[in-house]
This record gives sequence, C-alpha cells and structure tokens, in this order.
Amino acid sequence: MNLALFLQQVLNGLSIGSVYALFALGYTLIFSILGIINFAHGAIFTLGAYFTYALMGQAFGFNGLLANGALPLKLPFFPALILGSILAGAVGVGVERLAFRPLRQRGADPLLTVVSSLGVAVVIVNLIQYAVGAEIYTFPSDTYGNLPPAINFGTPEQPIPVRTVQLVIFGVSLVILMVLTYGINATKFGKAMRAVAEDGTTASLLGINTDRYIVLTFFASSFLAGLAGTLVGSSVSIAGPYFGIAFGLKGLAVIVLGGLGSIPGAVLGGLVLGVIEALVPGNFSAYKDAIAFAMLLVMLLVRPQGLLGRARIQKV
Amino acid sequence: MSTLLPSQMVSDRPSSRGAAITIGAVLSMGCGFLLAACTVAENFSLSPKETAISSQTIPIGIAVAQTSNVALLGQESVAGAEIAEQYFNQHGGVNGTPIKLVFQDTGGDEAGAINAFQTLITQNHIVGIVGPSSSQQAFSADPIAERLGVPVVGPSNTAQGVPQIGAYVSRVSASVVVVAPNSVKAALKINPQIRRVAVFYAQNDAFSKSETEIFQQTVRSQRLDLITIQKFQTTDTDFQAQITNAMNLKPDLMIISGLAADGGNLVRQLRELGYQGLIIGGNGLNTSNIFTVCQALCNGVLIAQAYSPQHQSAINTAFSKAYRQQFHKEPPQFSAQAFTAVQVFVEALRMLDKQQKISTLPLAVVRTRLNQKLLAGHYETPLGAIAFTPEGEVIQKDFYVAQIKMNPDGQSGSFVFLK
Repeated sequence: MNLALFLQQVLNGLSIGSVYALFALGYTLIFSILGIINFAHGAIFTLGAYFTYALMGQAFGFNGLLANGALPLKLPFFPALILGSILAGAVGVGVERLAFRPLRQRGADPLLTVVSSLGVAVVIVNLIQYAVGAEIYTFPSDTYGNLPPAINFGTPEQPIPVRTVQLVIFGVSLVILMVLTYGINATKFGKAMRAVAEDGTTASLLGINTDRYIVLTFFASSFLAGLAGTLVGSSVSIAGPYFGIAFGLKGLAVIVLGGLGSIPGAVLGGLVLGVIEALVPGNFSAYKDAIAFAMLLVMLLVRPQGLLGRARIQKV
Repeated sequence: MSTLLPSQMVSDRPSSRGAAITIGAVLSMGCGFLLAACTVAENFSLSPKETAISSQTIPIGIAVAQTSNVALLGQESVAGAEIAEQYFNQHGGVNGTPIKLVFQDTGGDEAGAINAFQTLITQNHIVGIVGPSSSQQAFSADPIAERLGVPVVGPSNTAQGVPQIGAYVSRVSASVVVVAPNSVKAALKINPQIRRVAVFYAQNDAFSKSETEIFQQTVRSQRLDLITIQKFQTTDTDFQAQITNAMNLKPDLMIISGLAADGGNLVRQLRELGYQGLIIGGNGLNTSNIFTVCQALCNGVLIAQAYSPQHQSAINTAFSKAYRQQFHKEPPQFSAQAFTAVQVFVEALRMLDKQQKISTLPLAVVRTRLNQKLLAGHYETPLGAIAFTPEGEVIQKDFYVAQIKMNPDGQSGSFVFLK
C-alpha cells in the first residue's frame, strides 16, 4: 500500500469512524447512568432521521399508513434536524417510562432490561414500516446548500477525496464530545447526573430527583441518536426501517473498545474501529464486521475496561 | 481529555464482565431462535387426511419479505401479486371460482421463510406458493415444499441452482446467467475502449454472489482485465474503503451486484469521490427505488433487465396501467414478476379445473397435478411469452438493457432502453 492510498484509507476510516462515534455517544450516556445497554437506541436513531425527513415536508412513498402523505410545513434542514432530534428525545423518554422504569422500580435483573429494550426496538422498527413502508428515503441533494460533494486533500495528480457530508459528521461528533464533556464536568446537571450514576439511593437522600435525571439522560441520549440518524441519513439515505439496527451492534463494539461509560472513549473507540475497518484489505472487506466484533472479544479478554476506561477498584 | 463517570471507578453496577455476559446472552438467544425454527421444520409432516379445497375460493400462498431489510423487494412483490388477484378475479378467476391470496411474511432470513412456508402449507391449505423473496431463502424453504409436494414459483430468485432444488420448484425470474452478460456487451458498445474492470458484490447475499460470478465470467470471455474484486455486505452504508481500493487501479468500468439501498449508495459514493466511467448495476439495482438513493448521480448507470414496462402486449398494458394508477410510477421488475407468478398459477389452475373440478379433488392431488400443468403451459405475461423447462427454469424470449436517465429534479427518472 503506497503512502497516498494509506492516507486515503485513514481518512476514510476517520469519516466512517465519526459516524460510529456519533452513534455511540448516546449509547454510552445511558450506560454511564444506568449501567445498561439500551438496544432501542438504534431504532430511535432511525426514527430521528424519519422525523427530520417529515419535518422538511418531504413526501412518503406508496406503502404504509402515511402513503403519499407529507406534512404541510416545510422546514429548512437545520431547524428540522433540531426539531426532529427533540422528537426523538421525547420518544426516548417514552421508552424509559415504558421499558426501563417499571423494571428498575421492581429491581429486575439488568438482562431483563436488555430484553425489554430489544422488544421496544423491534416494535418501533415495525411501527415505522407500518407507517411509511420499507422504501428508501433520501434528503434533498441541496440539504447542505452548495457545498461540493467531496473535498480533495491531495493533489490533482494524486487525489485524496473525502465526502463533505462525512466531514460535517466528523465536526459534529467533536463538537458534541466537547459539549458533553463540559456539561458532565462543569454544570449542575452534570454533577447531579454523576451523583445518580454513583449511587442513586444516596443521591435521592441528598435531594436529587433521580427519576428526573434518568429521564433527562434518556432525553439527551435519544436526542443524540436522532441527530446522528439524520446526519447519517443525509450521507447514505434512510435505507428503510432497519437502517439503525446494524449501527446498534457496531455501537456496542465501539463502547466496549473505548471503555464502557467513557464519553471520550466512545469517540476514540469509533474512530479506531473505523480506521481498522478501512485498512482491511479489499479482498476481505466484507469481513470488516467480523473484525469489529473480534476486536470486541479481544478487548473484553485483554482489557475489559476498554481504551479509556478505568479498571474497577475492588472494595475490601 | 477524559471524562470518567464515577460509576466506572467504584460501583455495584454491571462491570465489563457483566456486559460481556449480557452480549453473550443476546447472541445466544438469536442462535437459539434459529435452531428452534430449523428443528420445527424438520419435525413437520402433513396430516394424511387432506381436505378438499372449498368451492368458495382457491387459496394461493404469497410468501415474501414484508419486514426486515429485504422488505423493499417483498413490498414490490406484494404490490404485483395484489394487482394480479384483482385482475384475474375480475376476469373470472378459475372458471368462475375466485382466487384468494394468502400472505405470509418471510422476513429476511431463512428461518422466517421456512416458517411462512409451513404456515401456508399446513394451516392455510394453499394450492401453491409464490415466493420466497431471495434466493438465499429459496435454498432453505423450497426443499420443505418439495418434500410435501407443494408447487412453488419463485418470483425473484435468480441465483443458479434454484429450479434444481426439486420437481415442485420453478421460477419466473430469469437466471442471471441469461440476463447479466447483456449489460457488459452494451457497455462495450457505448465505450469500446473499456479494458480495466472492477467488480463489487454483496458477499452475504446468494443472488449477488451468483450474479457476480456470471459478470466475472463475462468480463473474462470479453477479454477484459478484471483488476479487482471488492466485497461488501447488503447492510453496509459506507463504501469509501472499497472505492479507494478500486479507483487506485484506474478502472474503465465498475460492475455492482447488490440490492437497491447498498447498490444505490455505492453508485452515489463512486460518483461523489470522482469516478466518471461507466457503471453497470445488477438485477438488484433494477428498481426505481434506487433513484431516491443516488438521485442525479444515478444518471447513466446500465442495467440488464428481464422486464420492460414498454413491452407491447395486452396483459402488460393492463398490468402497467393498474400499477401506475395505484403507485403513480412505472412498475418495477419485481412487481411484474410477482404478477406473472400468480398468473402462471391461475392459468394452470384453469387448465386443471377444465379437466376435473378442483373442488372434487383432494388437496394433495390438486397440488401434484397443478405442478404438472404449470410446467407444461405456455403463458403470455407482462414479461413477454414464457414457458418452463421440465426442471422448472423459466424460458423467456425478451431481455433488455436500460440506461438510467434522471429527470432535472434529481429525484425521479426512468430506464431508457438501449437498442
């Protein structure tokens, strides 16, 4: 592999890695508070993309409940993105109420919560299909205005092109990472969230409304899922109701690789996974998922706390 | 920059080990489900006391993917089958008895197809089955119908070896062996300078694997250089790594075997990353659904087809008109093939019913004789004139190569047929 090709593949890896990172940020937020994996995250990711698409006044296809339907309003992309993400956040709150809170109040085994969230994911995905069919929906080609489709980081003789939309996703991932880091470390909300994560019972004894902070965490996580779904959808189209499911599994590998519960770990894990996938030789490129999960297994065995996680301290 | 939440340091929460156990449990549940499905299939047998068909309606099973990531194909098949049900019942059904389509969702995997076939055969008592959606599912589910003597007509299975599954298995979807080479020849007509060819295919899809083998054989037989073979999965959305590998070798032609979403995305990303040469799409891209994926960048893609909406015949005109009325776009190939599969059953049932009233025969006898009639018949369908080999392979006369031409809006387009 020559240097230009290597550089091109590293950039390719960073761009797909930023998608994984964006997805995993919301995933890891819930894990850090509740210590559980929310498998409905992938379905909410998909839902966010559909919400934004609908808010832009785009028409649905010829199958499903909303066949030929379109909303009367026609928002520009960025307001629709924010509003769509807020709606995804609201769905996340509903999921918490329906699938997580009752089990938490009963002190149910975490595995039951995982199964419950899987059930919610399947229901959401099928509801999407019932509503809008299995068609592929695409955001208008002028979604990002007049930006060129790709930017060349090389020379005209030796081009190293990267798709502009991927650079947008990369930038958004980094901004969200900074906002979350600041929010968790330096705000009252962040401190309360950390207290709930540390020990919910003690936190509530100290006057923190744990249920409220759990709901807010779900809202933030699902907001990020909706945002990620829309950005990825604008890059590769909304490829049907099952669009987010593959990302859900990949996100799992990312948060284990980066360190369970670590926000920067989610970003680093995503970028590392993306680069490793991109460097898989062409003849084996279809096996990149297997490589991702092989890495997950190795990481669990060798360094269970992940790249940026911290080993548990055993209390004696 | 590091943000560590206290839960990672000292906590009674599930640790990484707990997460590992959870992940393992989830994967185990999935495997268990598949095993259970397969076990059920193996333990299944027909009741010896078969009921005759009611004289009210004649049930035909439609087992296609209405959910999962193959739902797009199934949705098109359902549309075609429903139009066929309406059309043939308006035209007298089976000598006065209406047909009734019974739909079962196969999902996107083999277990789903097996379960759908079982339900149709044992609970819905259908006379025959149109399905499943993918060749991958056909290799798993068709043997069940074969063992129980139930005729199956594949509406969209194009991989090699499907009709050879058994005597009761046939298909109206022409094999890729016949269809695929036409587009390579058309590309060479457009640009005789083509020498270097890159091939992309979805490795997790039996049809795409089968199709790419034919494409690769055609490339070699045309004395072209096959410079690279890049693989992906139908669930993939990002192809930059594979595109970089291929474009680094300076190809003149790219050939893609995949489905609408992945194939359309691959076309889009090829163009966005600067590839300007010809692109050939396989049968999975032969649907107007790719227009919304690659939009204006779909322009110029070549696709070999087994169906043309412009085909001149009374039945195709009726089918196209009904489809356009309902969906406001040109009918896709998978809808036309599903319509054809239902038509084949209806016409074979009519022939059988003329010999002896179907309602007087036991179901098992109806199924066996229906299969014989079906394979012996000649049909004028939206695909043109078709018949079957004794093995169940479709014999089709008309094939087309189309080039996608997008409209100025960048959202809609059409397949323009090349002479």
